[in-house]
Amino acid sequence: MIRKRTATIVSVQALAAPGHYVLTFDDPETARDARPGHFIAVGATTPANAGSSILRKPFSIYKVDPDAGLCTILFSVYGPTTSTMALYKPGDKLDFLGPLGGRVFDADPQAAVHHVMVGGGYGVPPLNFLAKTIKAANPSAKVTLIYGARSANLLVGDDGLREAGVEIIACTDDGSLGVKGRVTDGLAPLLAPPILGAGGASGGACVYTCGPTPMMRAVAELCMAHNTPCQVSMETPMPCGIGICVGCVLKKADGTFSRTCTDGPVYPATEVTWQ
Amino acid sequence: MAVNLEVKIGSLTMRTPVTTGSGTFGFGSETKDLVDLSKLGAVCVKATTRERRLGNPPARMCETASGVLNAIGLQNGGIENYILEKLPYLRQFDVPIIVNVPGESPDDFAYVARRLTESGGADAIELNISCPNVSHGLDYATQPHLTAEVVAAVKAVTDLPIIAKLSPNVTDIRPIAKAAEDAGADAISLINTVIGTAIDARKRTFKLANKTGGLSGPAIKPIALLAVYRVAQTVNVPIIGMGGIMNATDAVEFLLAGATAVAAGTVNFVNPLAAIEIADGIADYLEKNGFTDVHELIGAVQ
Repeated sequence: MIRKRTATIVSVQALAAPGHYVLTFDDPETARDARPGHFIAVGATTPANAGSSILRKPFSIYKVDPDAGLCTILFSVYGPTTSTMALYKPGDKLDFLGPLGGRVFDADPQAAVHHVMVGGGYGVPPLNFLAKTIKAANPSAKVTLIYGARSANLLVGDDGLREAGVEIIACTDDGSLGVKGRVTDGLAPLLAPPILGAGGASGGACVYTCGPTPMMRAVAELCMAHNTPCQVSMETPMPCGIGICVGCVLKKADGTFSRTCTDGPVYPATEVTWQ
Repeated sequence: MAVNLEVKIGSLTMRTPVTTGSGTFGFGSETKDLVDLSKLGAVCVKATTRERRLGNPPARMCETASGVLNAIGLQNGGIENYILEKLPYLRQFDVPIIVNVPGESPDDFAYVARRLTESGGADAIELNISCPNVSHGLDYATQPHLTAEVVAAVKAVTDLPIIAKLSPNVTDIRPIAKAAEDAGADAISLINTVIGTAIDARKRTFKLANKTGGLSGPAIKPIALLAVYRVAQTVNVPIIGMGGIMNATDAVEFLLAGATAVAAGTVNFVNPLAAIEIADGIADYLEKNGFTDVHELIGAVQ
């Protein structure tokens, strides 16, 4: 159920990573309905900058607290919408459509697999939501987050994962934290060939990735080489978020164009044409 | 005090003077959670072609100052898919359906018009002779005789009201509008998008895979208003005005310039309820300014 909302903002907090913020708003229905992979489309401009950008911008759901009726998103400032959002104060209103997304992450918390989240930049938030969701349903599930950035101070989106029992592997280009290298360097050792049983793969990894497209492509190709199932949450500009503009398409392996907002944003890696 | 918002586009009656712009509202069902279609003056659906079209490769859209540049390339399932898959949802609502029809030959336009007529799939047909994103799309609306040829071919196969959607990318739109009227068009839609491009200085590439796209949104409103004003001075058939309408004030400006109805386009991406809210706003404007009928505004600025 998509709703058009004007929700009250509870908090806006600057993160240590420059230009990055987390924003929490009060919307019990969205907190109840949102699933990992869902996003909201925010419209936020001031009279001063409204002319420079008229479209809404998509933000993945980072956290939900259904009991308190709260939702959280994470964003970095890169244009008029996010500049406006960074200035919001508690009590201000957040204008959004949501929850959006036709196909979200599909994980079986009870499966005997290693759930591996691979995130880059501000692609981590939906993976955080997924990791916690899996752990809440099955505390003994094996869940790992591999996340990468240029430098340690740019790693974002890992709130509460250690407490939830998720293993965390950081990868930094400059080696300032964890593995020196890319997320694929952290992922490769985890992709041992799965043991093929009567019911297909068991004991292997299931990978879920979100981040810059080149990163996701590298992750997807590594997973496909290891015959490891991989779900990708695609990052494309989404002019409307609800399927009416057909502007956010990706090319699928069958040659057709798929609306990432309503047919995705999550796809099996094998369905995507990686250009 | 009740005000009259009802207008006629040929034999088509619209309860409010606000429809959706083709290509900015999908096929109506995408917004089922948000929009009661029966509150619209009409629903104009996405372009529907003779055969299925895959559309252009991405990137298909980018933002520009106060606007959006798109090169979707008429992605749609084709006319038979529309009749089978899209129409049943639309027909649940008491609202006129306008189907936007592109084509690559007069025969293409006539074929789709005939199928729409046979199937009861439309209450009016908007001839998209002006889409800037497909080969041949622009050609018809750049020449009066080609425009007339398409309109005449479609008039020959259907009694449905025919709306010719014209391009702003011409030297003078007036003779083209006149040719459409003379060939039997029941109304004129003004304007389709303004052709343009966007370049990414950081990547040193075009922002759209198609290189060029159609510009819509507030950036083109002055261009659209002038086209409406000029064509209103030239033809007697009603005009559906569109191009950068974001609110009721914008819509009123189009009515004052000579439009009988308006279309909310790009604004749907921001607010899918825009066509309903704009109609309510027009009613408020009429009441606040002592008018009783929307017709009092049409062409009032000379």
